[in-house]
Amino acid sequence: MNILGISAHYHDSAAALVVDGLPVCAVQEERLSRHKNDAAFPAQAIEWCLDCAGIAPEALDAVVFYERSMLKFERILTTALRTFPRSWRSFPHAIRNTLGEKVWVRGIISSHLDVPRRKIFFTDHHAAHAAAAFFTAPTRRAAILTADGVGEWATLTAGRGERRDTDRPELTLLREVRFPHSLGLLYSTFTAYLGFTVNEDEYKVMGLAAYGRPTMIEQVGKVMRPTADGAFALDPQYFDVQTSARRSYSAKFVELFGPARNPYDPIDLESDEGRRFADCAASVQRVLEDTLVRIAAQLRRDADLPDLCLGGGVALNGVANARLLAECGFERVFVPPAPGDAGCALGAALYADRIYFGNRDRPIPDHPFWGPSIDGDALSRAATDDGLGVEIVDGGALVERVAGELAAGRIVGWMEGACEFGPRALGHRSILAAPHSSAIRDRLNRDIKRREEFRPFAPVVPIEAADRYFDLPRGGVRLARFMSGVFPVRPEWRSALAAVTHVDGSARVQVLEREMAPRLHALLDAYGRRSGIPVLLNTSFNVAGEPIVARALEGYSTFRRCGIDLLAAESVLVTKPAAAPVRAPKEEVAWSSGNVAASGAV
Amino acid sequence: MAKTVARIDRLMRPLHRWVWRDHDRRLRKLLAFADVETDGGRDIVRAAEVTPDPLLRRLYLEHAIDELHHGDLFRSRGAALIRERGTRTTSLFAGNPLPGGHGLDDLSIEGQPDYRLLAFLHVAEKSAAGRFEIYRQLVDDDPETRAIFETILRDEVFHMNYTYTQLTRVAPKTYRRHVWYARARRLWNRYLRVAVAIANLFGTAILTIIYFVVLPPFAWLARRAERRELPGWRPIARGGSPRSQY
Repeated sequence: MNILGISAHYHDSAAALVVDGLPVCAVQEERLSRHKNDAAFPAQAIEWCLDCAGIAPEALDAVVFYERSMLKFERILTTALRTFPRSWRSFPHAIRNTLGEKVWVRGIISSHLDVPRRKIFFTDHHAAHAAAAFFTAPTRRAAILTADGVGEWATLTAGRGERRDTDRPELTLLREVRFPHSLGLLYSTFTAYLGFTVNEDEYKVMGLAAYGRPTMIEQVGKVMRPTADGAFALDPQYFDVQTSARRSYSAKFVELFGPARNPYDPIDLESDEGRRFADCAASVQRVLEDTLVRIAAQLRRDADLPDLCLGGGVALNGVANARLLAECGFERVFVPPAPGDAGCALGAALYADRIYFGNRDRPIPDHPFWGPSIDGDALSRAATDDGLGVEIVDGGALVERVAGELAAGRIVGWMEGACEFGPRALGHRSILAAPHSSAIRDRLNRDIKRREEFRPFAPVVPIEAADRYFDLPRGGVRLARFMSGVFPVRPEWRSALAAVTHVDGSARVQVLEREMAPRLHALLDAYGRRSGIPVLLNTSFNVAGEPIVARALEGYSTFRRCGIDLLAAESVLVTKPAAAPVRAPKEEVAWSSGNVAASGAV
Repeated sequence: MAKTVARIDRLMRPLHRWVWRDHDRRLRKLLAFADVETDGGRDIVRAAEVTPDPLLRRLYLEHAIDELHHGDLFRSRGAALIRERGTRTTSLFAGNPLPGGHGLDDLSIEGQPDYRLLAFLHVAEKSAAGRFEIYRQLVDDDPETRAIFETILRDEVFHMNYTYTQLTRVAPKTYRRHVWYARARRLWNRYLRVAVAIANLFGTAILTIIYFVVLPPFAWLARRAERRELPGWRPIARGGSPRSQY
């Protein structure tokens, strides 16, 4: 069966193709459209998936959308009614926004793909999250927990999944917490309050939290309280999300926590104001963790299963994930490489395959590399045209060469094979650097990533050496496979790993098995032989505000525009001259103001 | 440079003066420019990635770097003005952006021939240069902002000229037609923006009337139903039909 999964219209739209029960390809629309967090209908992603698999739209057996859009509309309308008349400003915006495109998704899919409507299916939003988490995890039986901002009505669900040898698998969501009570919403509201972008910068709140002390837990407890049955409830007085299209926190929220941060002001952690924001981040982070731990521990007791599959945007919170592993009694915690809405495209397709069509489960390759591959020739041609140094080097020699450059303090753009599905760069579209000094971290922040100083960089380490440098609990290796957990760097290595050790001594480490990315593994080995420490700084190959690069020429244009010293893509190595004059063309072009006048535009 | 100021911008000078005279309007305008220049820069980066022409790739990259730099200049100046403004931030971001910050519109890069993009960029840069020239004159009281406009204006001259020169190279026989086509398209886009804004206004008015006239009884019922709902866990009913959007 050929099943296309689609997620779209809110943030991070994506498409994924499942053929005979196995993913063939999956990609976020942003990687192709080059608009970060592109929420548009993923026409390019769909086209790429079908091209990649060599399947015509008419050969699709089913197209599955990741949520029930009319149910979502019902929630929006009901919320407006419940908050009448305070919702009078947000109502026209919400209705226009929803009725404009989002509820007509069946027609949109049908017209885009020219498939009959009987082939179009829908899943519940959180069922798609759960399927993305459970069906991609190498476990037979697991408890399932999904948490995000909001789907149709659910914001958090708990359930269980089981694989069987002779029958179709089972995935059952047993209970849910409903809007407006939402952990994702709580965290996003603090994200906005702290001057960051909602649905994009939540990880900055997590990074900032490490600089603060959780001194405002009592205040956060007023905003969100635990319920008697072990769930939680938000106090709507502190939120404007139901009544305003512009702001998610209310005046009462500001009364409680003080003035919000101006998004254009840098956070000065030496000032009282900066420390207040850090404390605020630390407090909401702690409350989120405590709530998740309480809910997951209850689920562990009820389900009596050794593994936990975690899905939804909240599962991107690596600090909380590590606490779930350490404190809830689960042996392993599985977080897919794309736990957010993009991953729902794959989840919806897998859910339809296993649950709707009753197909037998097939183990899914345990890697995140489902996106477009690179074309080394295109890169080589472009770099040669531009007069840059281009070398074609075979595998082993290239690895040795790059390891030498890294050891010499150079920053390397690293592209290999298919790009990752999900928000993390896990070794196929990465910027790599030596992890030892804070100077290289500062250089990366200043010349390449152009981001806030308080944000940490992540390390990548081969599985064989992980325990030596990082304090990984039982199950930590699994959680760190897709960079889903934050763990302590062993104290004796913190100064040698200064560029990847966060202020609290932790790191969001990726533990790499050779089978997942053999060349990067070899590079880590080679680097370890030179430096004595087989650890590299691994950050996503992009600059601020842009999606991670997918194709070779996108890597090349990023390389040209920022301070990356060397670009390695498959067997192609591109270097910049000592002072790379990107500005050279200005002198090559004959121009004069007479040309402008000739265009007659004035 | 004064010659490049379009008649429409000269006519709108009183409006521009009104915008730039006020501290809050000025900084909102600068921040809107920052976003527009950055978005435009990213579009041009994309153009550099998809063009098959090596010279254009380098020029587009050069252009994109300039635009992204302009975005940074506007952003840091806006941030400085916010700091000068102090803590009165309550209504600062409440209003719509002021007119005149549409940059490259919704530029579609993929699948477009280079001559179309070059013509579009040329016309857009020329228009922006004219407008920035007016702004430069209107911020005499603010040397830092004025210096930013002067820097940007120097870059804009290069952008106007290289786009035109390259247009004549890639489409030597038809370049005038492409410039006129680009100009007509900008005009059409302006019309669309105005039309959409008016339609939005009508839509909002009608929906607001519906809200107050039709919704009250349903709102009463919804609130009554809400009172019966307790927060906390709820059992999940077995899933709906696979083909249903409900």
